[in-house]
Amino acid sequence: MPKNLRLIKQLTGCFCILQTLIPISLYAQRPVISGKVFDVATNNPLIGVTVSLKGTQTGTFTNVNGSYHLSIPNSGDTLEFSFLGYLKRDFAVRERRFINVGLSATRQSLNEVVVVGYGTQQKSDVTGSIVTLKGSTILQVPSPNLIAGLQGRASGVDIVSNSSNPGAIPQIRIRGDRTLTTTASADDAQNGPLVVVDGIPYSGNINDINPDDIANVSILKDASATAIYGSRGSGGVIIITTKRGTPGRQVFTYNAYYGVDNITGEYPVFNGPQYAAYKTAAAAGNNVNPGTNAYGLTTAEAAGLAKGVSTDWQKLIFRQGYTDDQEISVAGGNQAIQYSMGAGYYKVQGVVPGQNFTRYSIHSTIDDQVNRHIKIGYTGINSMEYTNFGGGDPVGGLVRLSPLTAPYNADGSINLYPQIGALDANVVNPLTLITDQQAIVNNDRRLNTFNSLYGVWQIIPNLKYRINVGLNYSQDQSGTYFGPNTFANGNATALSQANESVGNSESYSATVENLLIFDKTFAGKHRLTFTGLYSVEKDHTQSSGIFGTGIPADYIQNYNLSLANTVNASNSSSNPWNYADRGLISYMARVNYSFENRFLLTATLRTDGSSVLSVGNQYYTYPAFAAGWNMTNERFMQHIKAISYLKLRAGWGITSSQSINPYSTLGALGVDYYNFGPGTAGQNTGYLVQTLGNKNLKWQSTAELNLGADFGLFNNRITGSIDVYNQNTNNILLSESLPPSNGAGSTIVNAGKTKGHGFEISVSSLNIRTHSGFTWRTDVNVSVNRNEVVALQNPTLLADIGNGWFVGQPLSVIYDVKKIGIWQTADSTQAASYGEKPGMIRVQDVGTTTDAKGNPSGGPDGKINAADRQIIGNFEPRWTGGLTNTFSYKGIDLTVVMFARMGMMVVVPYVMSDGGAQGFDFFNNSRNNSLKRNYWTPNNPTNAFPQPNAATDYTNYSSTLGYVDGSFIKVRSIDLGYTIPPKVLEKAGISSLRVYLTVANPFILYSPFVKQGYGPDPEGNGYGGVSTSTVGGTPVPGRAITVNLNTPPTRQFNIGVNLQF
Amino acid sequence: MKLKTKIYFISSVAVLLTFSSCSKLLVEQPRSQITPQFFSTPGGILGGIAGVYSDMRNLWGTEGFLNMCVGGTDEDLVGGSGNPNFFTYSIVNSDIVGLWNIAYQDINTLNGVLQYGASANLDSTTKNQYLGQAKFLRAFYYFYLVQTYGPVPLHLKFITVPSTADSRAPIADIYNQIIQDLTQASTELAPVPTAPFLGKPATQPTALYLLAKAYLTRGWSSAAQASDFDSASTIASNLIANASIYGLGLWQDYANVNKPGNEYGEESLMVIDHQNSLTYGDYTIGTYASGPKENKSCFYFRPNYPAVNANYPAGGGAGVMTRDITNGRPFIRVRPNGPYLLNEAFADRINDSRWDNTFQTVWIANTTPAVVTPRGTLIPGVDTAIWTPPYEVSAAERASFPGIIFTPDGEGDKDSSWSPNMFPSMKKYDDPNKVQINDASTRPFIIFKFSEVYLIAAEAYYKQGDLVDAAAMLNVLRQRAAYRSTNTAAQNAAAVTAMTIVPSQVTLDFILDERTRELYGEYQRWWDLVRTNSLAERLQRFNPLEAYPGFSKEPTDYVLRPVPQTEIDLVTSGPPFPQNPGY
Repeated sequence: MPKNLRLIKQLTGCFCILQTLIPISLYAQRPVISGKVFDVATNNPLIGVTVSLKGTQTGTFTNVNGSYHLSIPNSGDTLEFSFLGYLKRDFAVRERRFINVGLSATRQSLNEVVVVGYGTQQKSDVTGSIVTLKGSTILQVPSPNLIAGLQGRASGVDIVSNSSNPGAIPQIRIRGDRTLTTTASADDAQNGPLVVVDGIPYSGNINDINPDDIANVSILKDASATAIYGSRGSGGVIIITTKRGTPGRQVFTYNAYYGVDNITGEYPVFNGPQYAAYKTAAAAGNNVNPGTNAYGLTTAEAAGLAKGVSTDWQKLIFRQGYTDDQEISVAGGNQAIQYSMGAGYYKVQGVVPGQNFTRYSIHSTIDDQVNRHIKIGYTGINSMEYTNFGGGDPVGGLVRLSPLTAPYNADGSINLYPQIGALDANVVNPLTLITDQQAIVNNDRRLNTFNSLYGVWQIIPNLKYRINVGLNYSQDQSGTYFGPNTFANGNATALSQANESVGNSESYSATVENLLIFDKTFAGKHRLTFTGLYSVEKDHTQSSGIFGTGIPADYIQNYNLSLANTVNASNSSSNPWNYADRGLISYMARVNYSFENRFLLTATLRTDGSSVLSVGNQYYTYPAFAAGWNMTNERFMQHIKAISYLKLRAGWGITSSQSINPYSTLGALGVDYYNFGPGTAGQNTGYLVQTLGNKNLKWQSTAELNLGADFGLFNNRITGSIDVYNQNTNNILLSESLPPSNGAGSTIVNAGKTKGHGFEISVSSLNIRTHSGFTWRTDVNVSVNRNEVVALQNPTLLADIGNGWFVGQPLSVIYDVKKIGIWQTADSTQAASYGEKPGMIRVQDVGTTTDAKGNPSGGPDGKINAADRQIIGNFEPRWTGGLTNTFSYKGIDLTVVMFARMGMMVVVPYVMSDGGAQGFDFFNNSRNNSLKRNYWTPNNPTNAFPQPNAATDYTNYSSTLGYVDGSFIKVRSIDLGYTIPPKVLEKAGISSLRVYLTVANPFILYSPFVKQGYGPDPEGNGYGGVSTSTVGGTPVPGRAITVNLNTPPTRQFNIGVNLQF
Repeated sequence: MKLKTKIYFISSVAVLLTFSSCSKLLVEQPRSQITPQFFSTPGGILGGIAGVYSDMRNLWGTEGFLNMCVGGTDEDLVGGSGNPNFFTYSIVNSDIVGLWNIAYQDINTLNGVLQYGASANLDSTTKNQYLGQAKFLRAFYYFYLVQTYGPVPLHLKFITVPSTADSRAPIADIYNQIIQDLTQASTELAPVPTAPFLGKPATQPTALYLLAKAYLTRGWSSAAQASDFDSASTIASNLIANASIYGLGLWQDYANVNKPGNEYGEESLMVIDHQNSLTYGDYTIGTYASGPKENKSCFYFRPNYPAVNANYPAGGGAGVMTRDITNGRPFIRVRPNGPYLLNEAFADRINDSRWDNTFQTVWIANTTPAVVTPRGTLIPGVDTAIWTPPYEVSAAERASFPGIIFTPDGEGDKDSSWSPNMFPSMKKYDDPNKVQINDASTRPFIIFKFSEVYLIAAEAYYKQGDLVDAAAMLNVLRQRAAYRSTNTAAQNAAAVTAMTIVPSQVTLDFILDERTRELYGEYQRWWDLVRTNSLAERLQRFNPLEAYPGFSKEPTDYVLRPVPQTEIDLVTSGPPFPQNPGY
């Protein structure tokens, strides 16, 4: 067959997957050798083993039966059999026509292939600090996405919950924060890791990737490993490799689980009688008009109290949710072409009515070895997600409702205005969240399509060229509709007051990477690998939003805003009008050198140019070096039997973060609107200077030194890694708050330094393995990370209170006056000298002035003011850890995953009130129900919470109430499975079947937060919401995660199946 | 094509594509944001001015700013749901950020307008108008800053390079700049509202009014010039003399001054516009007054009338009133200081119509089915459900009145007296045309009134010892206040006579009382007392229980408001920024 025809046929084969094997090199009239290749331990045939004529490009692969046929030039040659994970073997042909070969597996894990940036390495060759996880490990904790599934599973990777909504993506930090940022979104962008999917930097959302499609994950932690991603490497890199086909039998896989979700607990609020008592206490505590309460019981409430009404609104509203995960895939191929394709469905029905998350995904891959020189392949990940956020502020609203009112009328209908007669009479019954779902819409529909193509051209035996082309496109359509007479829109009583919105946002990124790879071993012991890269990337985002008021009918919802009474396109944070382009040009060179597989050296140089900086400052070069020493390959180690493997690693490199927003160097005017006069003639768009640009911005940089060791003990029954690191970040791109007399709130500057250091250990141990087949495995990891501000905007500045930065402190701290109790009756004279009375919050009087570091100094001065602020705590855990125990016996397996974050504060805004929009409206004046707390009364001289006071919603120093120890130890999941014996399944044509039960979030082992009655769970569920301090400023940075009145976390009971046939 | 050729071809195309797209990749072109260069265009100059006007909505009509304007004065006490800090001089920093931040943001924008606008491609008339507006507004903000915080940073150049250093300028420099800007603005601005500045924005007479007031204020201050009071009275009396040119005048009936619909009328010198428009008015029906820039002044002075029950002072009865549009949304933030108003400022409520035109004291029953009190049935729309008369009533009258009565001191019965939650409601900001009870008002906020020019002139004449002219100025307002549309001509004439004062009656107290009568609740009082150095004395006399105890701790300390802590914290280079005394 002419070569061209064969190529065409093979290309056709890409599309019809049933293409059968075509031997790659066919020459007539030559000896043909045949045979089988098998695993010596199991005698199973090995599929896809490379069989080649030693020293040439001639060769083939074994087929699905492990058989091969190869014609060779002459019968005196030698054949080489190589296969990943097995020792290579050579056989001299010596006139034989049939050669069967048994291969033995190399020691597992050490010869595993690890995905590193722009390539792969054998684990023994790796010089950086890299954690690898298999897809199956991640699936042990049922999670909507990879990040949620990683919690507690990898050392140095800190994952913090910031929402309990269905489909939430937690915050992830690798080795902590490096950059000083002011907002949560900037913090994620600058301190979060770069995600790479199948070689292409990923601009989509992690929710777009079905965890079932993930084959393995590499987490690059230190700069020597991440420096090849240069300007995006400082937050670490997560490389996701998706599942691909392998040569051999076609395998169908079906994985599914279904489970019920219930809240782990309600927010503890006053019940009916307690609420009534609280109102009485608030009247007694009224400091303006003692004994009175403007929020006394309404007629309905008084009647309810008499009748014993005590409505648990949370119980009425929170429902049982469910999780449904289904995934089916098929994979297979022959030596030339491998393919995989699969479809997934994932749905979480939330515990709050109206909240759910659904994902449909399709994943496909194809790889084609076109000939000895050319290989091409494709990955496609397409997903569609629907997220419903639910209406209004369901949880915050529920907590506030009076428990003394009845949810239903006597006739069984909904009591639409349960608080009638009270000041908040217009609050609509939250049961409308259930009964009037058509009138409450708050959703997002997202389409993401990720596509990557590659081609590899083996130019000469040791040199290949690779091209990667990536294209990611995503589009979100979001919308709201809040109809009248619903809990979500209590102010609206007519359809003309309904409000609705639609938002649209799209983004794409296109990447082209050109790689040149040279790999050769000289003199049998010098192995040299060179990788060169030239790449360009363009990212684009664009978004728009329209709002409307009034709609003819509920069912129109937000489908047609032309029917709205009024429509406008104002900019808002939920639906911004935005356009941003960003370009990146990169050059990279890397050399790996290995001497006798004992000494390893890696050197990397990357240059990045980015459009977001001014001309002249756009390019920066990132160097990195690393060395490794495989000590076990030294002779002197051979006799130390206990140590089966030991490698020492050292690496240093520079990376940075490019995540400032495009156009930051240019400055921007804020937009306002104004009407001069009553008509439309005087309507004008106004502009105000709100931020100042900075033309001199340049790159920030992080230098990191990492020392590590990988070890295996007792014939590798215990394996693990230890790493210590030190990192320094300079020229931080930070938003600097300006004195308001500048006329602008902030600008971006290159200023500030931070440092960090830490320690990570992870150990895997096979504790018990009995002859009867019982095994017990433990994986444990512990991480300690400390970050610290070293310098701020200028060398003399030691505290930037407005931004919450203090030299020598972690990157986010709580800075406020310190509560030391409640003023007691015996101290009333002293209290009066501070303008306070018994029952009010007592704070520490420590300063007359504040020193440069923000510490109070000068001692008590009889006044509480800004000079008494001090650092109350921070959000950096003392340590984090994960512990996974796996037990198996015959077909039964049990996995328990535990997770701990210890020694950090958490902030609880709903026990604060500054009378403004932050904290909890009416926390202390009894106008609304609130957290069931131990409040002060003359007969209950507690130091926990102040005396309720019906006179005012404003409570002095109330911000100090919400700083709580956030430490916790949790069992993340328990997974019990049973694998049906193959014999039973054979007749049904099933190759493997496992059924399992999982409980996610079964219990919390330790949490002071829960113990003290603040709420059901210490993990965060949002950002901000914190009251301003009574003595000025916001005591907690807006970027800090807080526990607020949001959807509570759930406990899930799942039943699942893994099936292959 | 041979395979090798294909490979070469495809690779070359790939590499070429990669390189050729690069030249533009690193060039930025913003498309969704406006950069500061925009101020050099005519649209940018007008936009800068419109932006500053829009920003004023963040102050006038908001609670925080109201507290700062009327809290801790003789006129007002804190309402049952109010934030007591300003009212009791326990002011903390978080109460105070608004004015400072907004003023400097606007001043920088205006400096940009003035700097770029001078060379903008505009005809001279338009340019004069634009620059006149910018100068007026810059002086306007510096005038509020210097009165509130004393020596403040004086920035007159557009800031393009930010600084973390700043320092205070002497108040003399600040007043000089204010007077210079206003003097120029008073010639450059149009005499009457002219497109594009429609409605009642700053015009020539507004600049003259503010100029007179600036001279008056400086005259009282440590930076006083000998001619200040003379300048103030001259400018004010000229403005009065030329009122017709500017389309200004006094309503015959004081009731019309604050009447909804009259905001653009002859007595308004300047308003901050609001409009029923989400985009241009920051307003939407049905959003519960959630926008930060909405005009919520109609809520703050209202008592908690829906909380009064039929059996009051005992509990358990039905509410005698339901919240409605006529009676408004009760925020209960500010309540009138009864003793001062009744015994001093509004002692004459017979001849002076201004008490009746300032306060609502009667709530007509509006609850169906009719509410029954122990004394009778309250027929909706007919019977008075709540009455807060400005005097005590007899026991017999109480017994025969079906509704609930709250008198100033309840005949010694605390339950029947005006209280932090129930008191006469100041009605100047009422908006009966709202669609939703709980929504903010779309009424333009009248920030300056022509009537105040008479008060400025009177005060300036008084300070020059010219009591004759001072009395003449006050008499204009007093005689107008004597008029009631329900009176006969003879009754009105008699009231005019009764209201007319003689020069010897003019004292500083009298002028300050007259300001209360004319301008009660209009976001001015604290500065009036500070300007005239009467804060301590008047608080001791008229607000001895609530404001004075906090104030009197260190009486010299509180004549300036505290500089926001953020300013002090964020001045991180150069000398530290000092706080005002007492904080």
